[in-house]
Amino acid sequence: MTKSMKPTTRRTFLKGSAAVAAAAVAMPNVITPSRAQSKELIVNTWGGSWTAAENESLFKPFTAKTGIAIKTATPVTYAKLKVQVQTGNYEWDVSNANPPQLKLANAEGLIEPLDFNIIDKSKLRVPIYENTLGFIALSTLLVYRTDKFPNGGPQSWADFWNVEKFPGRRCLYDRAFTCLGYAMLADGAALDKVYPLDLDRAFKKMAEIKKHVRVWWTQGNQSQQLIQDGEVDMIAMWSARGVESIEKNKMPGQVVWNQAESYGSGWYVAKGSPRKEAGMRFIDFVVQAKPLADFCKILPYGPLNPDSFQFISDEEGKRMPTYPAHAKIAFTPDADWLLPRLHDINERWKQFIAT
Amino acid sequence: MALARRPEIVAWVLLAPATIYLVILFVAPLVQVLILSFTDPKVSTAHFVRVFTAPLYLRTLGVTFQAAFTVTVACLLLAYPLAYVMARVKGRLGIILLAIVGISFWTSFLVRTYSWLIIFGNRGPIAALYETMGWGEMPRLLFTAFASTMGMTHLMLPYMVMALYAVMSRIEDNYVRAAHSLGATPFAAFRTVYFPLSLPGVINGSLLVFAIVMGFYVTPQLLGSPQSRMISQIVAEQVQDLLAWGFASALAVVLLVATGIVIGIYNRVAGLDRLWGD
Amino acid sequence: MPVIVVLALLVAAFLFAPVLIVVPMSFTTSQSYAFPPPGYTVGQYVRYFEDSTWYIPTINSFSIALSTAVLTLALVIPAAYAVVRYRFKGRAFANLFLITPMLVPTIISAIAYYKYLSFPKLVGTHLGVIMAHACLATPVAMLIMAAALKGYDRNLERAAMMSGAGIFKTFFFVTFPVLRPGIIVAGLFAFLHSFDETVVSLFIAGRAASTLPKRMFESIQLDTDPVIAVVSTMLFLFVICLFLLQALLRRSQAHAA
Repeated sequence: MTKSMKPTTRRTFLKGSAAVAAAAVAMPNVITPSRAQSKELIVNTWGGSWTAAENESLFKPFTAKTGIAIKTATPVTYAKLKVQVQTGNYEWDVSNANPPQLKLANAEGLIEPLDFNIIDKSKLRVPIYENTLGFIALSTLLVYRTDKFPNGGPQSWADFWNVEKFPGRRCLYDRAFTCLGYAMLADGAALDKVYPLDLDRAFKKMAEIKKHVRVWWTQGNQSQQLIQDGEVDMIAMWSARGVESIEKNKMPGQVVWNQAESYGSGWYVAKGSPRKEAGMRFIDFVVQAKPLADFCKILPYGPLNPDSFQFISDEEGKRMPTYPAHAKIAFTPDADWLLPRLHDINERWKQFIAT
Repeated sequence: MALARRPEIVAWVLLAPATIYLVILFVAPLVQVLILSFTDPKVSTAHFVRVFTAPLYLRTLGVTFQAAFTVTVACLLLAYPLAYVMARVKGRLGIILLAIVGISFWTSFLVRTYSWLIIFGNRGPIAALYETMGWGEMPRLLFTAFASTMGMTHLMLPYMVMALYAVMSRIEDNYVRAAHSLGATPFAAFRTVYFPLSLPGVINGSLLVFAIVMGFYVTPQLLGSPQSRMISQIVAEQVQDLLAWGFASALAVVLLVATGIVIGIYNRVAGLDRLWGD
Repeated sequence: MPVIVVLALLVAAFLFAPVLIVVPMSFTTSQSYAFPPPGYTVGQYVRYFEDSTWYIPTINSFSIALSTAVLTLALVIPAAYAVVRYRFKGRAFANLFLITPMLVPTIISAIAYYKYLSFPKLVGTHLGVIMAHACLATPVAMLIMAAALKGYDRNLERAAMMSGAGIFKTFFFVTFPVLRPGIIVAGLFAFLHSFDETVVSLFIAGRAASTLPKRMFESIQLDTDPVIAVVSTMLFLFVICLFLLQALLRRSQAHAA
């Protein structure tokens, strides 16, 4: 079992799933014909271009194959998952999240254990993590507007922190562990020494830049709107959204892969969801080679299914976090270290932001 | 009929549906919140202690009061001339102004807040103005305390105008004219006669606006900065993001009491049954 | 004197102009908040009518607001009648009590309902939202109904009773028709109050009963969709129509009484 999901190259990934596959070979290959009474499934999604990409590559083919209609629900928040499971009022059935959140969710009993009667483990090519199926490698990284920095923009987090050399409006993602990781790097920590986070050191470094950050984004589309409209000049945003802003929406900008935060995000079914059979079928479907590849061709995240790469050209691969040159200079948050501390870190972060 | 001799019974029978409904569906939920503030997760006053000792929440209370005060003063300064003219002018202009205020009053907060989002935006009309006038780059306006305060002032203005108008429309022209005929300058007549007569409206409107702004959520949430956050936003965050019912309830109780005090003063001074002056 | 009129007009312009901005914005060709719009099209309106994530909340809002208005009127008409027509101990208290939902900050009502309605599984249902909205609309409807009753000439009733009509006949054939405009106005404002209600809906409407304001709020936070301008424009025109309607009704009530 992988400890935390890194956006690795095909080889290192294969090691993990080979072990899984070997164990599963002994099991009889049982896929129960669908007991799914539910003809619909509600998918939690981030909206905007993410949902549009899902629609094209995942929802439509899934509905065509199974006859189960997909409805969506926004936004994506941890608290919503918790409240649903606690009250039994389910607004959505499946969602995906990052490793620290997944670890916490699983520990709090909010994730439905994977149903291997529905999911064919022997055919599974993505990593299994905390009762979730690995989906994509996602990076959160620095993007800046080239029209604001014609002589070259910031290339590292130290540069982002350097307001004299790179003056301009800044924006960061309102997520504690991401920003604290950046702060460590800006303070000179080496890429493999970011975790365990030295919280006092990171918060101290954050305090330096805080007054220059007028906006903290919480929603993906918001991050794109801010940088595209020029409300901010540099931002930490999700890699595929950054690429989309530059290539599709024609924003004059540059994506900086150096010191990106990368991890593998996974799909899960909310514990106790009334439509969990349909949910299991869905997450099994979306991690298959073709749908996953189709998704990543629209939004250039890295597929965690190695077979997807046969559908992806080299050019496309270069825009993804899985591209070896990119993966090498990225860091991954340590979900195990964060698990017991996440709550307190978030509390402290909220206080920090508001003062 | 026997009933006709016992009006109280008839009255309470008529009142019963509304009263029972509100008790079950308004008082009970609030009581539950009150109880939660003391009992979730265990019985203690810890939440209240935290509200009043943790610097963040004291600061938020301060920010909230300050915002309420600023908006009230701004509304007063803007509304007074408008209400004055509305009260004293005759004919079509008066009707048009009344319509403008009325329509603004009933246009949803959300729509009006959204319009400010566009106005203050980096590509909005103010930015366009800066560009055409050659003033350089527009200072950041969106997601600031300024934007939030401006938005709230805009939203509260109709309330203030109506409160002032309700009183001003009853001030007889004769009083001011009498002052003039006795030799007072226009300004002196205003200061010694008109303004004091309009004071009840000033007080009514100020208290009303103050109480409402303290509980504002939509506008500061969409237009403000993290540092300009008001109590209601913290309450919402505690519930939505952290599921901290006990603490959120404690904050809510504090807000409720503060609002209650302001409204209590209003009731003393003006009487709640004269809310719209009619 | 003209100076003060100029000031007044400036303030009125300040009040009115910002909202007018959403109208041209609704015709923009661009997907961002750029104003003035780079180009004009009715495309956004088309998108609104085609997008189920917009028109379903719209339908929800209409049905919820309608039900709220009916429920509120059912509660408020007798209550207002009692408070205006009868003298009894506790009258002032009753009056105050029925106004309190308006005095409590909406965020507090929102979290209170969120907790209170989750046990009977009413969160995320139409019924739950209607029940909450009826409470919140009661003060407004009450004030309008009370005003309508106060401005009503009782001699009409007395004349009817003296001519031999009983209480119920008097009510149905004399009182009610004269009060009808007032009732409609109270209902209209209860409707509008529910239709526009944002904060409580954010917490309790959920997905299935999502209302238009909830959808708009989330849209403003989640994406910069110009459809928001379309909705805003339509809401604005809607308010203007309602306002004209209630002005006409108030006039006719004044004439009738």
